[in-house]
Amino acid sequence: MNKLTDTTERIFSEDALKHIYECEQEHRRPTMQSVAGSVQITLGKTADLLTKMASRNLLQMKGEEFQLTDEGRDYALQIVRAHRLWERYLADETGFAETEWHELADRHEHSMSPTEIEALAAKLGHPTHDPHGDPIPTAKGEFVPHGGQPLTVMSVGDMARIVHLEDEPETVYAQIVAEGLYVGLEVRLTEISPERIRFRSNGNEYTLAPVFALNISAVPLPKNHVMASSDCERLTCLEPGQSGKVVNISPTCRGPERRRFMDLGILPGTLITAEMRSPSGDPTAYRIRGALIALRHEQGNLINVKRKGKNDNDNQQ
Amino acid sequence: MNPTVDDILQTAQELRWKVGNNFHEQLMETIYTEAAQIADRSVTYPGKKPRFDLDRTIDGIVTSRLWGFPLMILLFTVVFWITISGANVPSDWIARLLIGIIYPMLKTGAATIGLPWWLSGLLIDGMYLATAWVVSVMLPPMAIFFPLFTLLEDFGYLPRVAFNLDNWFKKSGAHGKQALTMMMGFGCNAAGMVATRIIDSPRERLIAMITNNFALCNGRWPTQILIATLFIGAMVPAQLAGLISALAVVGVALLGVMLSFGVSWSLSKSVLKGEISTFSLELPPYRPPRIWQTITTSMIDRTFFVLWRAVVFAMPAGAIIWLGANIHVGNLSLVEYLINFLNPLGWLIGLNGIILVAYIVAIPANEIVIPTILMLTVLTSNLSGVGDGAGIMFQTDQVETMALFKTGGWTLLTGLNLMLFSLMHNPCSTTIYTMYRESGSLKWTLVATLLPLCMGFVVTFVVAQLWRLF
Repeated sequence: MNKLTDTTERIFSEDALKHIYECEQEHRRPTMQSVAGSVQITLGKTADLLTKMASRNLLQMKGEEFQLTDEGRDYALQIVRAHRLWERYLADETGFAETEWHELADRHEHSMSPTEIEALAAKLGHPTHDPHGDPIPTAKGEFVPHGGQPLTVMSVGDMARIVHLEDEPETVYAQIVAEGLYVGLEVRLTEISPERIRFRSNGNEYTLAPVFALNISAVPLPKNHVMASSDCERLTCLEPGQSGKVVNISPTCRGPERRRFMDLGILPGTLITAEMRSPSGDPTAYRIRGALIALRHEQGNLINVKRKGKNDNDNQQ
Repeated sequence: MNPTVDDILQTAQELRWKVGNNFHEQLMETIYTEAAQIADRSVTYPGKKPRFDLDRTIDGIVTSRLWGFPLMILLFTVVFWITISGANVPSDWIARLLIGIIYPMLKTGAATIGLPWWLSGLLIDGMYLATAWVVSVMLPPMAIFFPLFTLLEDFGYLPRVAFNLDNWFKKSGAHGKQALTMMMGFGCNAAGMVATRIIDSPRERLIAMITNNFALCNGRWPTQILIATLFIGAMVPAQLAGLISALAVVGVALLGVMLSFGVSWSLSKSVLKGEISTFSLELPPYRPPRIWQTITTSMIDRTFFVLWRAVVFAMPAGAIIWLGANIHVGNLSLVEYLINFLNPLGWLIGLNGIILVAYIVAIPANEIVIPTILMLTVLTSNLSGVGDGAGIMFQTDQVETMALFKTGGWTLLTGLNLMLFSLMHNPCSTTIYTMYRESGSLKWTLVATLLPLCMGFVVTFVVAQLWRLF
């Protein structure tokens, strides 16, 4: 067998393993059709593929039905691990956009040897979750599920923390990302109807169609929980001349960008005053700890501030 | 009973799942915040009143919607005007000293001590003359442009330019500070490469480096001006000639700016996708520029830089061109073989073999393109009474230059494509070397070198084909 077919077969069987594993997690029964659809090969080839996998003791076949063996499950977990580590890497250490992570990780997950996977995990500081909130299985295949439920099943007035954003299908995910939602965001639900889900967070109101809200999972917070970021807003909401105190830097801002912000002294409690806007509309210059720093709009969106009234401002100076 | 190591590891692992991913960052943030709060509580700044009000007033003007851009254009026009008009006189002095006085003295001296013709040719006609050429053309504009630029920087104005222009650079995936490195590039691309250090985001810095060559450098301005005057200015009535040729040169420079936007955009969308990108731009307080200090340090820096560059890079070029023109195999000199070999390629892109050879020879310094072309034209057409001999660069008045170009078979297409090719070809060797040193990457250096060259070939080829079609 030449190397090319070797590699494609590896990709096919790994993709099939991943699919069957996902079905198992979601308590669905994998079928020949669903495997063929997921791996994107014909039914005939799928049958061959499954037989081969069974002969390698990755699957157990009983007539039409099949399920993973322990060996197969371990293998599947290692691919899931590689995939999620890659997504974590792409999110933290590169400049690729959110919507590109999944596809890139899909490509890289098949070309990693166990040693390479371990090296990547070590480089990233053995992360526990991928950027969408999915747990990354350990080398032994252990993990704790995120335990969230879709926003659609919660009730009005509930507070919840987003723990997972589904990254497929890509169009839905792109919409969620465009709304500025992220794992770790605390929200308060204000409306749930068949037409739309509405919730507040960081002083912004979000309105989503249920199909989008279905792809967002959250864990409920206790009734007496004080939301970390109530009545704050994004730095970009400040008009020139207005001030605000930093509440936090959004958790989506990671790696070099976050370090840069902290180096500039943008920390919880820091007073920031918007000074002037560029004649071309962006960036805006802010007075931060006595220095004048220009930040672009999308960066300002990553910083949450609590607006200061005019009087507070005078006291400060 | 004491817990075993395994128990502890097990507990740690369980806790990790609860704590989640961000604990390193949260810890760091807490430490930073604590430190900042302690400092805020206990550090006072006695007697130091920030000059916010004056700064605010100046900022209000230079970044205002109404005045921001006109003021910027005015300032840079003045800088370029002072550079161009002010450089002619000292350029002339240096040329007269190095080429008019010292060069004949050296020749006489060599004859007196009885140096063989080939040695004096190689050393004086080749190496010395090329170096003198580069120094006289290059030194004065650099010595004027860079101090002026540094003064604006010292005052605190340049970061405001980046602030004003950032939105447009952002749209092409670049950093606002690229406006400054590009401006530097109009003086010298190698200096522009060094200047990209001010861009702290890795991806945007690479973009700025790769596209810097599209800023028409000081070594290429004279070529553009000469060709525009001879070919494009000559097409219109005499009273308009000056204006039209100036517009043609500005047009090529603007084309370069647009190319640099376009290339930045496509780089950020293709090969540089995924490189880390962060943005921050500090707008430092204004301060009175230290005029004298700035002028002296920047003059001395640049002067030594140019002299060093001239010696290291122009000298070997001078030697090679002299040898090429003087070593004969059969009836023809080496350089003539090369010209004949490159002629078909030259024809395809609307140029000729001589121009291509000149550009190969001029890799160390674009300043010697025109003198080399003139010398090679005389050499290949066996003219007598023009020029100074094989391998000796010269420059002459416009009428004679035009006559030589005509002898070489130049048309308006040749002129136009030479202007385009001068904008789009590989950077000079100093720039390439600087890029390699600054980026530390052979791959990106190669991209920066070959990309403009390929673009030059494609553009001139298309222009030549269209020209011949109509």
